[in-house]
Amino acid sequence: MKILATAVGDTATAPQVTGFIESPFNPLAHQVAEQLLSGVDGARLGVVLASELGDSVTTDLSSRLLTEGRPANALLFMQATANAILGRISIEHDITGPLLSLAPGEHPGGGPLDVAELLLADDLDRVLVLGVELAGTPRTDAVHRRRGTEPRAADLAAGLLVGRGDGLPKPYPPGVAGLHALAATPTAQGDRR
Amino acid sequence: MNDVVVTGFGVRTAFGDGADALRSGVFAGRAAFGPIERFGTEGLRTGVAACAPGTPRLRTALTEVADSAVAMAGLPPGRGTAVLVGAAGDFTAVTAFWASGATDDVEDSAAGRFADVLAERLGARGPRTTFTTACVASANAIVHGCRLIAAGVVDSAVCAGGYLVEPENQSKFDSGRALSRDGAIRPFSEGRSGLLLGDGVAAVVLESAAHAARRGADVLARVPGWGVAADAHHIARPHPRARGLVLAATAALGKGGPVDYVNAHGTGTQHNDSAETAGLHALFGADAPSIPVSSTKSTTGHMLEGAGAVEFVVTLLALLDRTVPPTAGFTGRDPVCDLDYVPNEARPAALRRALTVNAAFGGANTALVLELP
Repeated sequence: MKILATAVGDTATAPQVTGFIESPFNPLAHQVAEQLLSGVDGARLGVVLASELGDSVTTDLSSRLLTEGRPANALLFMQATANAILGRISIEHDITGPLLSLAPGEHPGGGPLDVAELLLADDLDRVLVLGVELAGTPRTDAVHRRRGTEPRAADLAAGLLVGRGDGLPKPYPPGVAGLHALAATPTAQGDRR
Repeated sequence: MNDVVVTGFGVRTAFGDGADALRSGVFAGRAAFGPIERFGTEGLRTGVAACAPGTPRLRTALTEVADSAVAMAGLPPGRGTAVLVGAAGDFTAVTAFWASGATDDVEDSAAGRFADVLAERLGARGPRTTFTTACVASANAIVHGCRLIAAGVVDSAVCAGGYLVEPENQSKFDSGRALSRDGAIRPFSEGRSGLLLGDGVAAVVLESAAHAARRGADVLARVPGWGVAADAHHIARPHPRARGLVLAATAALGKGGPVDYVNAHGTGTQHNDSAETAGLHALFGADAPSIPVSSTKSTTGHMLEGAGAVEFVVTLLALLDRTVPPTAGFTGRDPVCDLDYVPNEARPAALRRALTVNAAFGGANTALVLELP
C-alpha cells in the first residue's frame, strides 16, 4: 500500500458543516476529507474513519441533556454516529464504496490502515483514511484515568489517501496519533486521481 | 481466496439465549414488545421496546454470546484468530457518569474496549477491530472477518456485535420521531409507522473451509459472498431505489444467482421499506415476487449495532431449519411494497441459499450470502 496524499485538520480553521452542531468532530473530518478528495473520482473509493473515543462532545452533550431532564436535540440524534459525516462526504463526492468507522485499540493489525489495505485488495482503487480524536471531556478524561493513559490536550485530525502499491511499511500504526504522524510527514507517492 | 464457513454462533435477544429462544419468538412470529421497565420513560412519546428482563451490561452479554459461539465451534482461539466487534460504547456507562459521576464502568463507554475484552478472554491473538457504524456495525464486523479469512490474513474470526435498550438511544430515536406509534413494527405493511428498539447481541465463528476441515469441525453454512456499499444520497433517508443496497447485494450474490430467502433490513419506516422493495426488484428482476422476504425486526425490534449479527444468525437458522421466519405485525398490503413478505406465519421451505441485508444512517449498506454446505 502506498500513500497518495496527506492532510491534517485544524479546529481553528475547520469550516462549519451545515446540519452539524456543537462538536468539532464532524467539521474536522470534513475539512481533512475535502483536502484529499478534491479532484478525486469517487467511484471505486472507500472511506475509513478511525477514532478511539469517537465524537465525545456530541455523546456527552446528549447525555447531559438526558440526565438534566432537558429536551433531546434531534440534530444531535442525527450526528450521533460517524455515519452521518461519512454520509455527507459520500454525497458530496458520489462515493459508493464502503463507509466504515472504527474504534482502534493499540493492538497491531486491526487499525484503519490495515482495514484499508484489505479493502484495496478486495475491490477498490483508493481508500480515504481519516482519523479524528477530540480533546478530553470530563468523561473521556475519566476513561483515560482508568486506563492510565493521558487525555488529549487538543483536537487531532489527519487523513491519508492510499492506493495499491508498495512504500508504506508494516506494521501500520493502529491509532489516530500514528495516522497524524504519517500525515504530517511528506510521504505522498503517487497520482491520487 | 479461501472459502469462508460458519462453525458456531451465540445469540441473545428479548426472547432469551440461543437458537431455541429464536425459534419460540422470531420463527413463531411472536413480537417481544412491551412497556420498558428497565428505565423511566416519562416525557417520551414512546415507552415501548423489546427488552429482556433486568439491566444487563453490554460487555457481559457480548462475552457470553462469544463464549457460546466458540464452544459450539469447538474452536481454541489463538494467534490466527481475529476478534471483530460491532458496537457503540455502552451508553449506560455514559449516563451513569453524567447522572452521578460514576466511573466504575466508564471504560465501557469507549467502543474500542469490547474487541480487547473479547480477545483477551478468548485468548485470540489476531487482529482486533471494533466497528462503530451504527446499524451495520456488526454486519461490518462479519464482512471484515470474511475478508480477513478469504485473503489468508487469519484462519478464523470471532465476529460479534450488540445493543441493549437504554435511555440514551430511546430518547434520541424518540426525539427524531422515528419510533412506531402503535407499539409494533409492521415492516412492509400498510399502516406502518416506524421502528422500536430491541435487545440483540450475537457472535459467530467464521473459519476458512480448510481450517475447519483440518479440525474436523461441523460446518453450519458457507459464506460465499459479501458486499458493503453506500447510497451517496441522503444522510438520514435511504436512496429511493436502494442504490447502495443493490451495489452491496450484487457484490455479495456474485455469480451465484438468486436466493431462496431474503432477511430484509425492514425497519417498518415508510422510506426504508419502499426503498428496500425497489432494490429487491432491481436485484432479482422477474424472480423477485417469488422470493420470500421477511423482516424479523418485527419480532425482535431494531437492535441497532447488533442487528447485522443477530439477523445473520436468524438467516443461518432459517437455512438449518428449512423454515422462513415471518414478518410479524403485517396487517395488509401497501401498494409500494409488493413482494412476498411471509406475513405473520413461518413457512417451511427447501432453503439452500439466503441473503441478509442491513442499512444504516449515512447511507451505509451491507449484504451477506449464506449457503448450506
